[in-house]
Order: sequence, then C-alpha cells, then structure tokens
Amino acid sequence: MSKAPLEGIRVISFGTGAVIPDFGKILGELGADVIKIESRDNLDFVRTLGPDINNIHGFNESNRSKRSFGVNLKTDKGKELVRKLIKMADIVGENFRGGVMESLGFDYENVRQIKPDIIYISSQGFGRGGPYSDYQAYGPMLAAASGLLYLWAHPEDPYPVGANVPLPDHMASKQAVFAVLAALDYRRRTGKGQFIDMSQVEVAASLIGEYYLDYSLNKRVPKAVGNRNPYAAPHNCYRCKGDDQWCAISVFTNDEWQRFCHAIGNPKWTEDPKFADTVSRLRNVDELDKLVEKWTMEHDPTEIMTTLQAAGIAAGMAQRAADTINDPQVKQTKALIEIDHPVAGKRLYPNIPFRMSNTTLSPSRPAPLLGQHTEEICRQLLRMSAKEIQRLKEEKVLDTA
Amino acid sequence: MPKEREGALSVYRVLDLADIKGTYCTKLLADQGAEVIKVERPKGGCPTRNIPPFAGDVPHIEKSLYFLYRNANKYGITLDLELPDGRNLFKKLVKTADVLVETYPPGYMESLGLHYKVLKKINPKLVMASITEFGQTGPYRDWKGSSIVHYALSTTMIGSGFTEGAPVNLPSTPSYDAASIIAAISIMVALYQRATTGVGQYCDVSVHECSRIGLYPWMVTIYSYGMTPDGPPPAPEGRLGASIYPVYPCKDGFVRVVAITPRQWEALVQVLGEPEVLRLPEWREFMYRIANAADLYALMLEFTTKYTMAELFEAGHREGVPIVPIYDVAGFVNSRHTKARKFFVKLDHPVVGKFDYPEPPYKWTETSCRISRPAPCLGEHNEKIYCQELGLSKDDLAALRQAEVI
Repeated sequence: MSKAPLEGIRVISFGTGAVIPDFGKILGELGADVIKIESRDNLDFVRTLGPDINNIHGFNESNRSKRSFGVNLKTDKGKELVRKLIKMADIVGENFRGGVMESLGFDYENVRQIKPDIIYISSQGFGRGGPYSDYQAYGPMLAAASGLLYLWAHPEDPYPVGANVPLPDHMASKQAVFAVLAALDYRRRTGKGQFIDMSQVEVAASLIGEYYLDYSLNKRVPKAVGNRNPYAAPHNCYRCKGDDQWCAISVFTNDEWQRFCHAIGNPKWTEDPKFADTVSRLRNVDELDKLVEKWTMEHDPTEIMTTLQAAGIAAGMAQRAADTINDPQVKQTKALIEIDHPVAGKRLYPNIPFRMSNTTLSPSRPAPLLGQHTEEICRQLLRMSAKEIQRLKEEKVLDTA
Repeated sequence: MPKEREGALSVYRVLDLADIKGTYCTKLLADQGAEVIKVERPKGGCPTRNIPPFAGDVPHIEKSLYFLYRNANKYGITLDLELPDGRNLFKKLVKTADVLVETYPPGYMESLGLHYKVLKKINPKLVMASITEFGQTGPYRDWKGSSIVHYALSTTMIGSGFTEGAPVNLPSTPSYDAASIIAAISIMVALYQRATTGVGQYCDVSVHECSRIGLYPWMVTIYSYGMTPDGPPPAPEGRLGASIYPVYPCKDGFVRVVAITPRQWEALVQVLGEPEVLRLPEWREFMYRIANAADLYALMLEFTTKYTMAELFEAGHREGVPIVPIYDVAGFVNSRHTKARKFFVKLDHPVVGKFDYPEPPYKWTETSCRISRPAPCLGEHNEKIYCQELGLSKDDLAALRQAEVI
C-alpha cells in the first residue's frame, strides 16, 4: 500500500476555535504529524464550551488525528521547546487574534529565523494591513461584515439572522488547507517557503463574488431574495406534513416542470396557462408557491424528495442530524465514521469528503486529551530525559493529560 | 519593469470541463498561476453563462456576473466533445495536461469514451477530479441537485432564519463552492503524491457530502454526543441564529453581537452606557440570554438605537465584546479595511468594460496570487491553444469551425 500523502510533513498548530483546528485536522487525516500547541493556562476556547475540556463535541471533531503538546507559552522554557519543534516543522498555522503571535515571538519574521523554508499561514478575522487587523472576530461576525448575512434572509424579514453556525469558518479551514498544499508544492520545486495572510471575511466575500460585480457594474445594492431564484420556479423550501418538516424543490426548465406536474399527479391548476413557462411561473410565483405547498403539506418530506427525484426533479428535505445519520446515501458512501475517544466514547464524525483511486488514508484518530502527547513529543522529538520532563512539569512549563 | 512573480501552481496545466459545480475549483487553481483552459461547447458555452443577473441587465453569454466572477484568470476554448473530431482534439489536450476537472453526471464521460481509465492510458500523469451532485456511487448517484437542495440536505438550512418562519436559503452557490474547494484539496494531494509516484489518480467528489463539511460539519457530531445508550434522545435543533448571535437595530442599520463569556457581556453593558436594566445578574448567563432572547431584544432596543453601526463596532473592540455591522454589499466594498487590503482590483473586459473584482482571500509573500485577467469570452483563446500549443494551422482552425467542432 502506498504511504499516506503527507507522511513526513510536520505541522505546528497554534489554533483556537474552528478554522486552524479544522485545517490541522484535515492535514492530520492526510498523514501529516500535526502538533497542537495548547495549555491549561490558555485553552482553545472550544474546550471551554462544556464542563469537561476533553469531552466537547466541536473540539473533538476539529482536532482529530493530531497530537497535543501541553506547554505554557508564557514561560521562556516553554517557548524554547516550541522553537525546537518549529525547527523540525514544515508548516505553521495560527488563528489567534491579530498581534498575539508577535507578542509571543512566534510571528513569521521570528519563525523564519528558526526555519527559513517554513510555510506559515495566519488566518485572521479581517486579515492584516488594515484598521481591523487586531479585532477579535468569530465566524458569525464575518458573515455579517462581508455582506453575506445581509443576503441570507427572506425579503420580508425585519433583519437577517442567518443561522447558529460559524459560517465561513469551515470554508476558511479548507481554503487554508488548499493554500498550504499549493505552497508545499511550490517549496518542493523551489525550496522556498512563504507567509500566507488569510482573511476570513474575504473568504466569506469570495462566496458571493457576483454580488460585488452587480454593485460595481450595475450600481445596485443587491437585496435578499430568500428561497426564490430569478430564473427558476418552483424554487423554494416548502412546508411538509409533520412538525417543522420542510423540503426544498427546484424546477429550472419547462421539461422539468412537465415532469414535476406528472409526479404530483397532474392536478387541474398545473394546466393554467399562467404556469405554462418559466417566465409566467416567475410572474405568478406567490400563487404557484401556495399551490405547491398545498401538495407538500399532505406528504412527508422524505416521500416528497424520493418521489420528485424519481421523476428527475431536484428535491431535498431540510435534514436534521438524525435524518443525515439514517440517510441511505450517507450510509453507503461512509460519509460518517465512528471514532472511539478515550473520554467521549464512540461518537459519529464526518469522514474525509473525497475518494481517491490510489490513496488510502489511515483510519482517523480521536482528538487528543489536553497534553496527551506532551511526554511522547519530549522524548521522541526533543530528546529529553524523564528527569528533565518531570522537572518542567513541576515548573508548570509542561501540561500532561 | 520588475519580473512578474510566478504563481505557486504556475507549472501546471488544467483542463476545465466544469459547470456550476466546479467553476470555483478551477478558479482556485488559476488564481495560483495554473494555466486553466476552460473547454466549452461551441453553442452557447458553459451553462453558467446564462445565470442572471447580467451586466446592464441584458441577458448575454458574455455578461453573466456569476460566470464573470468564477472564471477570471482562465483561458477559454470551444470544443464539441460529442463529435469524434472533438474527442480526438480533446485527447491531444489531455496528453499535455496535468489536471482535468469535470462535472458531468456519472457515466457521461464514459459514454463519450473519455473515462479516466481511457485518459490515463493517454497520459498516466493525469490527475482527474469529478465533481458530481451526489458522487459516483450510492443510491442517490443519479439524483438531481441544486444549490437550495444541497443546502436543505446539509443540516444547516433547518437552523436558518427565524424560529417561526420558513428555513431560509444562503445566497449564491455555497454548496458548490464547498465541493470546489474540497476538490481542489484532493487535486493538490494527488499532484503532491505524483511528484513521488510519477502517476496521477482519480478523485471522486460529491457536492452532497462536501456541502455539510464546508458549511457546518459539527451538527451530526453534536447530535451524537447527545445520544447515550439509555438516555433520552437529544433535544431537537431549532432556528436559533437570532437568540445565540443576536442582531440589534442601531441608528443606521443593524449590528450582530457575539457575547458568550460573562466578561464579553459585561463589556457589552459597558458599551451601552451601563443601563440599570441590563445589570441584573441573570443576564450575565449566556444560556439565560438565549432562553429569554425576545425579552432581551425588547430591552436592548432603547440602548442600541442610540449609536451608529460604526460606533458600536469601535466601542465593542475597545471594551472587549465582538460587535459587527451587518453590512450590505456596498458597506463591505467601501469599508476602510477592505480598501486598505486592496481587496478589489480593476479589470477591463472586452464586452462589459471596466469593473471592480474581488481578489483571492489571502496575500502571499513569495508567489503571485492575484487576478490578472477577466473571464474569457467564448472561444477567445482558440487560436492560442489550438495553433500555438497544439500546432494546428489557421486553415485547420477554419475547417474545425466550419464543421462546428470548435
């Protein structure tokens, strides 16, 4: 069997929250040795979202397949150990607030003195070089600051609220992985490392690029259109039978419309000329949506989804986690995996979302307990004696599980 | 003049047979300097050329803003793969390429005799990525998808919008962009491995699977942490955006507040001038605030409306509570930070003229990562690619055009 794609690559991760932790997780799953720098004194805030720092769902998902090195960065000795690890590393990732890495002495300028060909990615809310560079920022704020949240609403909503999710964090983490892989490829060819300054608000912005073009070219400030689409109807998320059950349906062409009508039993209203073609349907979309919803309200969303898909119409129920767990496609393609974590036990996590013909990845490893690999890393990489390790533990330089 | 820096991926040639599902994937590669050749059908081109809105609001294949945004930095040629001569030319291109990205329904490439097994015989180094709605296998393999359908299936839509209202869609095509970024990762992994093994490989990427991973992959895991062998089922998820990350009106718009810790809440009270009603101890509890979000909203109105978005943004930063303006598109474009980062660059397109275009979301110190060319017009680079690169004559080109191969 071929070796893991990133075997031999070492990543030092100064990550907190979602972006850099998720970034490190993906590199770890691809075979890199990812070392998370953390300590009891300065916890990744996701570890604090529950009573037990080692039993947090989000943390244990975003930190799979890496090692935890518990070290207090406020101590000179701790910093010295991290400098030694950086000397053995290929990639550094960080997403502390702007300015924190400088104050710790681990900014790019310092790190490249230790390891000249390092690939260093810094992921900040707003990015460097502007007035908001050191502003604390979480995903939901960046969706707001980019203009994305403004458009994430029904036209009649009093204001946009989006969802309780940190979008664009998990897009930013993948952008960061793509970026360092490109940088690694360049380093392989030229021997040169570099610094990548990523802005998470710009990641959010890159999801809606055409709206900025609308502003620039058409001098228009785009408004939210909710579930409607300017060139398709029906196109909405319709209420179905049951408690808070919904199904999204989209019909783009007249051919699809014919098949849609047939699939729902050709009720009389579908013959009305005002629904005959896309332009007419768009013109009468409020009435159309009411009639479609009359049908969806009589059926459960799974039935609607499968009936319409069998007729070649794009339809998908608004799934909750439990629906996803039981989804036949998710099951068959092994999109979810079970991992046994020493504290959390057997839980479900998303699998790496692509399949490659010549690459077999090792099974995912559970997220580390805080400081789980401190001693192992001290012995194996830093060549420290048991006595030395013990002394640094007593001096509160090292944290172990 | 200083020499133009090369991009991190400038040694690679990419063939782009992608529609809405993968145009952002090849853009990511092009922004890093890869030579991306968009191969479009001669009649009408890529289907994304028909997506509104259009520059000047006139439907036109060179004026779709969606197309213009996601195809900058690429070259464009035309080729009809359904004709034997088209397929032969395509195979010649494959011989010269490092990467092929395609987004046809499963089985279509095979029906044309352009399956990966065939193409890798022509070029063993080829990395091929197929981005499909539901993947190459499984019971949904032939299902149809759309942006709203993938969003619904992602587990994020059921939590989007107001509690009592209908779940609300995300703008644009985030599920396709998630699949595109993840496909670009798999391509990079394959290229990186190719440097050692000398051979390419095939990557199967499903939008259905990537959508959840790119938007919010924690939902299933959170749910599974609530599942205990003898315990009750976990609480159902609701549409809680407004209660967890509240939005409040101010003088000139709205702000979103992320106050999670007691320290952040105290800072928020400070920002608002320490009103007595907000100093009640129970409000310090995050869970209490979520449970009583409507009451809190009614209380907050009086205070937040005294300030502008910018005042609250600055004061939040000063006191230690993240508060952010809900900008519309103009607010973001004109923000001081966006300007300082030079996030928008002027492009000049032969049909639509000059406009401001967003740069990639990162700055690189060693390699070039910037937008240098607008999206190609249909067939704009036929001569460059077919004559200069494949060695065809201008007469050949005319004959191919006559036969509607290109």
